[in-house]
Amino acid sequence: MDKKEEDFLKKLLLTFKIEAKEHLSAINEGLINLEKSSPEKETDLIETIFREAHSLKGAARSVNLKEIESLCQSMENIFASLKRKECAASPQLFDVLHRAADCVSKLISGEQEINISERKNINEVINLESVLMGVPIQKQQIEKEPKKKELIQSIPLTETVRISTAKLDSILFQAEEMLSVKLSASQRAAQLQEIGASFAVWKKEWTKIQPDIRVLAGDIQHKQENEKLLAFFNSNHDFIKSLETRLILIAKSAENDNRQFGGMVDNLLEDMKKVLMLPFSSVLGAFPKLARDLSHESGKEVELLIEGEDIEIDRRILDEMKDPLIHLLRNCIDHGIEKPDERRLKKKPPCGTIRFALTSRDGSKIEIVVSDDGAGINASLVKSAAIKRGILSLEEAGKLSEQESFPLIFRSGISTSPIITEISGRGLGLAIVREKVEKLNGIVSFETQADIGTTFRIIVPLTLATFRGLLVQVKDQLFVLPAANVERALRISSGEIRTVENLETISLNGEILSLVRLGNVLELPGKSSLDMITQIVILGSEAKHIAFVVDDILHEQEILVKSMGKLLSRVRNIAGATVFGSGRVVPILNVHDLMKSAVKTAPIKKPAVTETEAKRNTILVVEDSITSRTLLVNILETAGYDVKTTVDGLDAFTALQNQEFDLVVSDVDMPEMNGFELTAKIRADKNLSEMPVVLVTALESREHKERGIKVGANAYIVKSSFDQSNLLEIIRRLI
Amino acid sequence: MISQEDKRKILKERAKALAEQPEKKQEDEHIEIVEFRLAHEKYGIQSSYVSEIYQLKELTPVPCTPQFVAGIINVRGKILAVIDIKKFFELPGKADLHKIIIIHDNMMEFGILADAVLGTGQISIRDIQPSLPTLTGIHAQYLRGVTKEHLVVLDAKKILCDKKIIVHDEI
Repeated sequence: MDKKEEDFLKKLLLTFKIEAKEHLSAINEGLINLEKSSPEKETDLIETIFREAHSLKGAARSVNLKEIESLCQSMENIFASLKRKECAASPQLFDVLHRAADCVSKLISGEQEINISERKNINEVINLESVLMGVPIQKQQIEKEPKKKELIQSIPLTETVRISTAKLDSILFQAEEMLSVKLSASQRAAQLQEIGASFAVWKKEWTKIQPDIRVLAGDIQHKQENEKLLAFFNSNHDFIKSLETRLILIAKSAENDNRQFGGMVDNLLEDMKKVLMLPFSSVLGAFPKLARDLSHESGKEVELLIEGEDIEIDRRILDEMKDPLIHLLRNCIDHGIEKPDERRLKKKPPCGTIRFALTSRDGSKIEIVVSDDGAGINASLVKSAAIKRGILSLEEAGKLSEQESFPLIFRSGISTSPIITEISGRGLGLAIVREKVEKLNGIVSFETQADIGTTFRIIVPLTLATFRGLLVQVKDQLFVLPAANVERALRISSGEIRTVENLETISLNGEILSLVRLGNVLELPGKSSLDMITQIVILGSEAKHIAFVVDDILHEQEILVKSMGKLLSRVRNIAGATVFGSGRVVPILNVHDLMKSAVKTAPIKKPAVTETEAKRNTILVVEDSITSRTLLVNILETAGYDVKTTVDGLDAFTALQNQEFDLVVSDVDMPEMNGFELTAKIRADKNLSEMPVVLVTALESREHKERGIKVGANAYIVKSSFDQSNLLEIIRRLI
Repeated sequence: MISQEDKRKILKERAKALAEQPEKKQEDEHIEIVEFRLAHEKYGIQSSYVSEIYQLKELTPVPCTPQFVAGIINVRGKILAVIDIKKFFELPGKADLHKIIIIHDNMMEFGILADAVLGTGQISIRDIQPSLPTLTGIHAQYLRGVTKEHLVVLDAKKILCDKKIIVHDEI
């Protein structure tokens, strides 16, 4: 194959992928809708999915992807028989269809190695189809409507073209640049007007000199020279007068141009921003399927309701919000919604409901409410998780009220889940939600009630480009603080600063706030002098407040955020920069970072316990396969642990009696005593009951995971997704 | 008087001489470089990587960045980081800064500080002496070498591709 042809095929495949993904998401959406639709709507839905499958089949054939083609053919056949009411839509049928769609999705994304179980799925679909074809008609009672193929209703669709986002971004960038051109145009116009105004001064001077000129004209002695001079004066006067007239004309048209140009730039920017707006449905469209998969995995029943997904938002914000929204959904299913039997006991419908509701707020913000009718968040579980991670002391935990302890769930590493698995229990999800939302200058909050449910409320701006910022000066440098994070700006006298345990604090409305110097946090050189009056700003992020000392507060203004270029990919404490009308570049501060840095910069009260860290931890590995054992030992020893190995549960338990270990990593399937039995035995032993146990297994099943929780394992890792960083991270978390 | 035949012979020889390929020159490749001065030393950088020379008007320092990041500038509305290669190479000497040479490739773009830009010139690759006894280790890897005229030729490609130059600092 020559290179040209190869290139062409590559291009073709790429195009196919984009197209196929669209068909596939339509199929997925259709399947979800079909599952819960009423019989009247069924026909239309089936027709839609049927057509999508058909188009996908055609597309696959054109790029010679036989597997996708045959899968689509089978799906198409199934839908054809559904259409003819030759078979009924059963839950199993849906399961198979969903799996088929998953397979197609994997094939499309180019995962070359489709494993055996997926092959089985493919065959299953194909078999099912052949079974169906042979199956006698089940729903004969339905009258055969001799419906003619309806003409597809001619809905006026707006035409669309596909443009790469990179191109759009570059256009937006240039459109934003027009702002500074607009600004300089208005400056030019103003300057011209100023010059025009300066003629008034000249006129005054001219009038003042008139009497002297008249004297000069009356002087007969030097008549000839004077006449020459006078003529020169007059011609000069006329010349300047004509200059004035012309200048005023130019100034006027410059002003007109400026006004017109300004309006055009504003319109262009407004339209450009709209181009970058996408409806939320472009992200939420995949959620029903995700909810279905996640709930099936965890043995729960969940109905997902989405409201207001048509609301449009800046694509860049949508991109940033995708992960947090997935985390919230996962959170609702994993931690919120209970199992059907549990729900029945609580007199709730067995199927849980999760709602995503989007509403626009005062034109510039969007509120996203994610609520579930699950168990609510258990305050004491949150507290004990925080104590375990060393974030709270027992004493502090005792003082916290329920309400006060809830914000802890946003802290990284806090999870109420009893076991660490592939997808949850690491306590990162909500920390990510908060960080992303705050990065967008948004806020996140939640309410929870035991057995009634939990509601998360997120407010983010509609567009990313501009926000209100407060301009502050620190050590002769200017910085912008996002106004959303500034709670108060005030002046205090030095007498109000109190030192508590070597830390400066101020008291405000009865609350004691720590006081730090922004210059120190930003590592700016030079000593900050203490004036009699100190200017401070109180910044808030994640329910914490810290007072920062600045040298001066200038004013508040609209800020256009820009990235600092590819070299400065992420800078501590700095979120980006903005360009002022004068061309001056001013860094924008990252408040989330500042709060963290402020804690670090503050003098440490006492040295943390380091002795235990110096001691090497010893891990007992229980594994019957020699390959796995060698691999585990290798990983753990490289990470600096002392490792002892045993070949089965019995062997391990004996070792535990004779030697002290810090953690046990055990396989599940082993001769003599398996991993579950070993864990149960460890938990039952009064000396070993607190020993952390990590189960490593080849089996990924819910029953096993639940059994792991029941016997009291601390973590459950599946070997198929077993990478060492994952294992090491979990171990670090446990000891 | 030259005979007709001699004339033809001479012309033929001339034509042949002119038509001859300058074989030697082929192995003697040239590169075009932008020469600049920084702290009393002359540097050169391959001009194909230089997108423009920018007059330094205002440099905004960025706190919490490594020493070699001199600050950020506004180039027609786009913000670019500017680095001080003296600091990046950990060389002594203070610069008297007037110009910024903006270098780029597909993945990266930033400015480097210069006292003055001396112009462009051709240098033969053969004239670049690759090994520098005084510059070793880290420093040598960003250099193509030094010419007889003591012009230090930077390896723009290596500097642009170097991951170490990217600031990515989480808290």
